[in-house]
Amino acid sequence: MIWKIAKKELLLNLMTFKFAVGAVACVFLTVVFMPILAADYRQRLALYNRNVTDNDTELRNVIVYRNIKHMIYRPPVVLSAFSAGLEKQLAGSAKIELEKVPELSVTERGGNPYLPILAVFDESLIFKIIISILALLVAYDVVSGEREQGTLKLMLSDPIARHQVLLGKLLAGLVTLSVPVVITFVIGLVILLSYPMVAFSGSDWIRIGLMFVASLAFTAVMYQFGLLFSCLAKRSAISMVLGLFIWIIFAIVIPNASVQLATKLRPLESQEKRDGRMTSIREELNNELRTQFNSVREDFSHSIITSDESDAFGGYYAKRRDIYWLNAEQKLNNLTIPIRLRYADRFWDAERRYLNGFFRQKHLAHRLSLISPISTYENVMAVLAGTDLAGFQDFINQVRNHRNEVVAYIRDKTDSFSSASFFAICTEEESAEFTKLYVQAKEAEDEQAKAKAEQALNEWKREHPGEAVPLNLEDFPWFRHRPNSAADLHNAMPDLAALLIMNIALFGMSFAAFARYDIR
Amino acid sequence: MIRQIIYKEVLENLLSLRFALAVLLTTSLFVICGYVFVDEYREQLTDYWKKANDALSALREESDQLYKVAFYKQGIYRKPLPLALCAEGEEKALPNFFEVNAFTADLPRTKGQANFALPHFSHVDWGLIVSLILSFAALVFTYDNICGEKENGTLRLTLANTIPRHEVLLGKYAGVMMTLAIPLMIGMLVSLIIVIPSKDVVIGGGGWLKILTLALVSLLYLSIFVLLGMFVSSRTGHPVNAMAILLLVWVVSVILLPSFSRIIFDVTFEEPTEQELQRRIREVRKEIWDNSERYGKNAGSMSNNLSDPINNPPARARLQNAIMDATNQLLQEHHTKWLEQALARRNFACLSPAVIYQRACEAIAGTGIKRCADLYGQVKRYGADLKEFIRSRDMEDPQSLHLIGPEHGMAYSWRAISHNPVDFDSVPKFQERAMTLGQSLKLAIWDIGLLTLMNLGLFAAAFVSFLRYDVR
Repeated sequence: MIWKIAKKELLLNLMTFKFAVGAVACVFLTVVFMPILAADYRQRLALYNRNVTDNDTELRNVIVYRNIKHMIYRPPVVLSAFSAGLEKQLAGSAKIELEKVPELSVTERGGNPYLPILAVFDESLIFKIIISILALLVAYDVVSGEREQGTLKLMLSDPIARHQVLLGKLLAGLVTLSVPVVITFVIGLVILLSYPMVAFSGSDWIRIGLMFVASLAFTAVMYQFGLLFSCLAKRSAISMVLGLFIWIIFAIVIPNASVQLATKLRPLESQEKRDGRMTSIREELNNELRTQFNSVREDFSHSIITSDESDAFGGYYAKRRDIYWLNAEQKLNNLTIPIRLRYADRFWDAERRYLNGFFRQKHLAHRLSLISPISTYENVMAVLAGTDLAGFQDFINQVRNHRNEVVAYIRDKTDSFSSASFFAICTEEESAEFTKLYVQAKEAEDEQAKAKAEQALNEWKREHPGEAVPLNLEDFPWFRHRPNSAADLHNAMPDLAALLIMNIALFGMSFAAFARYDIR
Repeated sequence: MIRQIIYKEVLENLLSLRFALAVLLTTSLFVICGYVFVDEYREQLTDYWKKANDALSALREESDQLYKVAFYKQGIYRKPLPLALCAEGEEKALPNFFEVNAFTADLPRTKGQANFALPHFSHVDWGLIVSLILSFAALVFTYDNICGEKENGTLRLTLANTIPRHEVLLGKYAGVMMTLAIPLMIGMLVSLIIVIPSKDVVIGGGGWLKILTLALVSLLYLSIFVLLGMFVSSRTGHPVNAMAILLLVWVVSVILLPSFSRIIFDVTFEEPTEQELQRRIREVRKEIWDNSERYGKNAGSMSNNLSDPINNPPARARLQNAIMDATNQLLQEHHTKWLEQALARRNFACLSPAVIYQRACEAIAGTGIKRCADLYGQVKRYGADLKEFIRSRDMEDPQSLHLIGPEHGMAYSWRAISHNPVDFDSVPKFQERAMTLGQSLKLAIWDIGLLTLMNLGLFAAAFVSFLRYDVR
């Protein structure tokens, strides 16, 4: 009997005007906007590729280890077409430096400040807005409408249990609504895959599969809200009004209010306080550096001659140094680089405390918005697409690990930053030789000796032209971004579970309401 | 007869569940809006005064020598406005910090305020409540206005009387508008009752007029949705079909269109980049330096000792001023591009009445992009005033070379600008001039015109549809 009811409901639903309007709107919007989303992705991908290529080329031209200060870029996420999340809000790049540990920084967003980043369009918006309204419109009169028409009385005069009627109606509603969901997903994917730059990996397909499940679960929740109101109200007009108001609360009021409330309940630490903390650490660092420099000041006082050339990433390298200067600099590096590394961690700790305030606020806002299935769905889609905050944090963690590898690599290659190759292309022997010849030329007693010494110096210079050779980066730990699918799937589970629990709870409530429903 | 129809409509609506829900929802949102605003405004104002006073005392410290006043980069912060209660204008994400001295004003910047990790920078203000919640309520009040009466059979009864159809339509329209005005007015009043007793928020006479104008524009905006509801209701036979169409139109025009236009705009238009600007500035400077002799002999060289024959102070000042003028010109062009881009993106979204309405509210309340751009203009004018002040004070010092140029070394070692102390009270201070109601209305006039046009179009459509409506 359930099947008969379901079939009847399904046929009735499919023939309605509201269903036609909703389904056509979904398909139309997907067909029109998926190509635009794909074009947007292509643009971002092209920019990313350009950035990476430029950066790699420059990195391969680095002459001395000190100047390995490359950028790491986060590849654009292909699934951002389904859920944009924070993809456009956060800068997806970080600089690798000895002095700084990369962090999701709060630095001022570059570009046009008159263009605030606001909620952007993505495929999940269609589900969030149109399919959720459609679900409510399909459901609002399934019980109250039949009561008004008198068909409910007829149906229940048959020997059929009420829960069977409700189950039949639920089943029909879900099958009806899964039609636009499936069509929208399929059309969206087909359009996206028709672009040559789009390629899905295995884990992407799992993510898409889970997004589909989440979309179905979300649609079911919205349908069940309509069903519940239909079982509660005697007139279908009232159940519709109730459904629409609850929709506006879920779609607009709660997402906004949760953000407002979270910012009130967990206020951020002021930027001045954080700046003050950073300044005091910087002062400490400068003091320590000054002390170290004073200890080698004597060594620098013997220095005679230097010649520097510019290197990649805006740095420079020492082409020729006299041996005193070279040794003094080696000594200074040996003393100060470990201090800089230690302070980089301290800066990071201070920054992390500040940033944790942001994250706590965000997590509170998320928890508060969980009462709205629309917010829950939005979040689960962003997590599955890999465009939520966790995705960015994961990227930065990977970058931080990469920095540690780079630091270890440089330390290894430069004998704990004390080798001349850290900042110079001349070796100690060459410097010593150069100094000897240079001093001879300078201190020659008579013209003849001076000319001879200068000739020897020039000859030496000809033999040792100091040609800069880019570093051999064969064993360099190149960065490869690996999206952490397992963590994303793990993070998505609570929200997915919340959607399922909502479904079960709503069905229980509808069942209780329908069991006591007065069909007269 | 029309009065009776209005009376009946209002009474019927007032007793309905949807009215109760609409009043409850909007009033609670207006209450939240009021409390949140008072709290935030107080905080922002305290913060603003602290920063503004710090900036002033820093300027006071510089006033021991005139040339230092000329070179000191003053930080100017955007003051929070009491009318942000009505239309915040996304100001949280807009530039709020300007730096200026007598020679140049840096491009406006946004100093960290909002949490970048939150989904979006949303703000509950009157504009949001009216544009999203009340417009939705307008549809809920009207979707069955005509087809519902047809279903009930009451429309036939009404028209069986000797009453022209346009009177019925007008009566229904007025009835719904009056019903909608109730939650709007209650909400605004409640919000104001919360805001006014707090001593921090001071709304002047002009402010009250602006609030009144905002209320009228809000009614004009809501009227679009009322007329749309009546139009669709008189085109369909069943209220459910009317609701389905109306919801689609509402979702598309109020929620989807602004997002769509943003992504289309982002894909099509390229943002002028900072690197490009820096490159152009470098090129222009290089060009001027390379042709430095054009500004006089030895303009390109300088030694700190004024009596050194390689120095040619007037030529040097001309050169440095030329560089500064060229840089300022480029900054101005870049700023204009930014602004054009931002305004174009918003104009692009103007198919949506919600965007038009929000733009009108911003213009009337004096917030939003236009205000920030206007503030930048005022900051630049202030820089020019400061330069004039420096020039006039400099003339009083016989020891000065009277060469007002942007090179610090010239002013410091040659005394190109006076080193005398200056009375701090006489130094011009920056003061933002808020827009008057007339200026605001001038900015909003196009948007109000567009809203009126939409009203007229929809009224005509509803009128024609209802005249031909089959009441059977």
